[in-house]
Amino acid sequence: MQREEKQQEAILQAILNRVNDLKTAIQALITKLETEYETINWPTFLDNYAILSGHLTGLSKILQAEIAPQLRSLVVLPLQLGCKRDEQLAQMTEGRVPACTHDLVPDLLRTKPEPQAEQRLQQFNHKASTLNYDTAQKQVAQFTKVVSHVWEIISKERENWEGESMRASGIQPTHNMADTHALVTAVGTGKGLRLGMPAIVPGVGGPGMGPRVPTPQMGPSSQTMPKAPSTIKTNIKAANQIHPYQR
Amino acid sequence: MSAANAAPITATDSLTQALKANIIPNQEYLLQGSVLDSAVEVLLHRLRGLCDNVDAGPETFDDQEVCFSLRDPNQQAAPLMLRVRKALDARDMPFQLRYIGQPDLGDKNRPTVVRSSLDIACSGMLIEFLNELGCRIEFEYSVKGYMFRKGRMKITVAKVFKISQSAMPPEPISQSYLVELSVLAPTGQDAIAEDMRAFADQLRPLVQLDKIDYKRLGHMPS
Amino acid sequence: MGVTVLQQFPVPENKTGTYVIEMLSKRILALGATQQGQFLVDCESYLSHPQMGTTKTVHILHNSEQPASVFSILESGNKNIHVIADGLFDLFMIKLSQHYTSKKQTKIESKGPRFELGDFCIKLGSVTMNQSFKGILIEVEYRPCVTANAVWGLLREFLQGLLGSSTVIQPPQHLKNRMSEIYTPIDTVHQYLELFSAYRKTTALRVQ
Repeated sequence: MQREEKQQEAILQAILNRVNDLKTAIQALITKLETEYETINWPTFLDNYAILSGHLTGLSKILQAEIAPQLRSLVVLPLQLGCKRDEQLAQMTEGRVPACTHDLVPDLLRTKPEPQAEQRLQQFNHKASTLNYDTAQKQVAQFTKVVSHVWEIISKERENWEGESMRASGIQPTHNMADTHALVTAVGTGKGLRLGMPAIVPGVGGPGMGPRVPTPQMGPSSQTMPKAPSTIKTNIKAANQIHPYQR
Repeated sequence: MSAANAAPITATDSLTQALKANIIPNQEYLLQGSVLDSAVEVLLHRLRGLCDNVDAGPETFDDQEVCFSLRDPNQQAAPLMLRVRKALDARDMPFQLRYIGQPDLGDKNRPTVVRSSLDIACSGMLIEFLNELGCRIEFEYSVKGYMFRKGRMKITVAKVFKISQSAMPPEPISQSYLVELSVLAPTGQDAIAEDMRAFADQLRPLVQLDKIDYKRLGHMPS
Repeated sequence: MGVTVLQQFPVPENKTGTYVIEMLSKRILALGATQQGQFLVDCESYLSHPQMGTTKTVHILHNSEQPASVFSILESGNKNIHVIADGLFDLFMIKLSQHYTSKKQTKIESKGPRFELGDFCIKLGSVTMNQSFKGILIEVEYRPCVTANAVWGLLREFLQGLLGSSTVIQPPQHLKNRMSEIYTPIDTVHQYLELFSAYRKTTALRVQ
């Protein structure tokens, strides 16, 4: 019996601590909003919210602990209601609850959620129960789609931002994908390296240099060299080719 | 005495034996990328730190490569592509005749391009031989750059030049150097591909070495 | 590689190839030579498809004296183009099998003992084509010298002594135009190809 009492006291103390922390955090948030509402930015506000949620999580952890169910079996009953100011009560509650009056007690000792919340919860429950399976599935699928779409957009933006930040910090790109592709195709398939029609087989006899393929168009065609490849240019190529490959 | 006087094994027999023992390097594992001219010095420094053969400075090379194709008049099979590479800075070295097969693209999980490749050193009148064989020249280019070695891996950083017909010097075809990481190995040694991928990661973000399917790119509008 | 001369040795009517090889081996060993293993020179031919125009033949030869090389001679009309390549060249010919088919029946080889006598290297080869015996080829190499002009007299004398004064020694067809050039292994291979082509046209002789 004593051990249970001690446990209860310990739990109650812990809960009290957590609630106090939560209270201070909310207080801080409200002060912040009131005083800095012109300079506050979204991330700071979110940070404060995060603190709040942290406290709430701690509180809920304690309530979920194994010892906590014992609390369910305990009930707080007001034994006496009065309109008089009770100094002790006021002191304990830091001046917020001066007396155990009729209108305060139902709100403070309430165990069910507050009326508005209860109503909305009921509405949702009703809606959920009337949905059939297929519609529910479809809605879930749509929801997943929307979420993943948003996720993609965010990741793309993040990549862009990271790239921009790299460039902004002065790191130059050291390779060019277009160049890579150009080089690989040139080496692999000869794109950009061919001269039009393939060369004519040179007629070589014996180890010495054979007779050059006669190209009477040598003179006027030298002017056509810078132009687009033509058959005349190819003939010249054939004639020249005998030379570089003789050992 | 009898063992020394035993009949010598024929060349075809020894080749068949070597094929069975899977010691003939007839596959090439390849990764390609490029680096801009402005960043090539940094890449060379990094490679000097990573690679083996750099005691007296990186090894340079200056080669000319000619690509031939042998077409089959009756069958509609794809023409056979052959490459001949000769060293312009070492005229006494033999020519290199190379047969490269189609790259094996089926597996997306393979870290590198794998294609069959036969490298044969030749001397004599190889170009005339190929011409008489019926091959036609498809295209040619020259490469000039540096060669590094790490274990079995060969890394080349080279500029590709288009050979012009007049006496003008060859002109580069892009403002980048082509970087290739390759290993010649017998079939089935896929572990080397993992090593190659690990090495390629060490060169990031300077160079992005990847498997590039040039056949697919060749059809894309440039 | 020194200057090498290849000579056919006629097999007498009533004698077998093995007998002739034994007789010649005895002669050489009597001169003081020592046997240093065996040698093998073989030749396989590939013909181009008729649709590719004029028929061209690619002969692939291997010589056990140069084990890491493959010799390839392309005959097209009256032109002979040779290429000396790595051992993998055989695999390359297999890749070309669509365009050039191998004529397995004409695979010909010369195999036999190899002797060394001072600066000379003598090989006695029995030529066989698809298990049928074709003849005897004697190869004599004088290792220190690389120009045929300088050493022809010496080689002729040696061969005369070895083969008997009845046989007429003439410079091989291939060498006739190249007497003052540096001798290289491909010249030996050319000589073998000449004689192999001649043998291909003859009928088989008795072996045993």
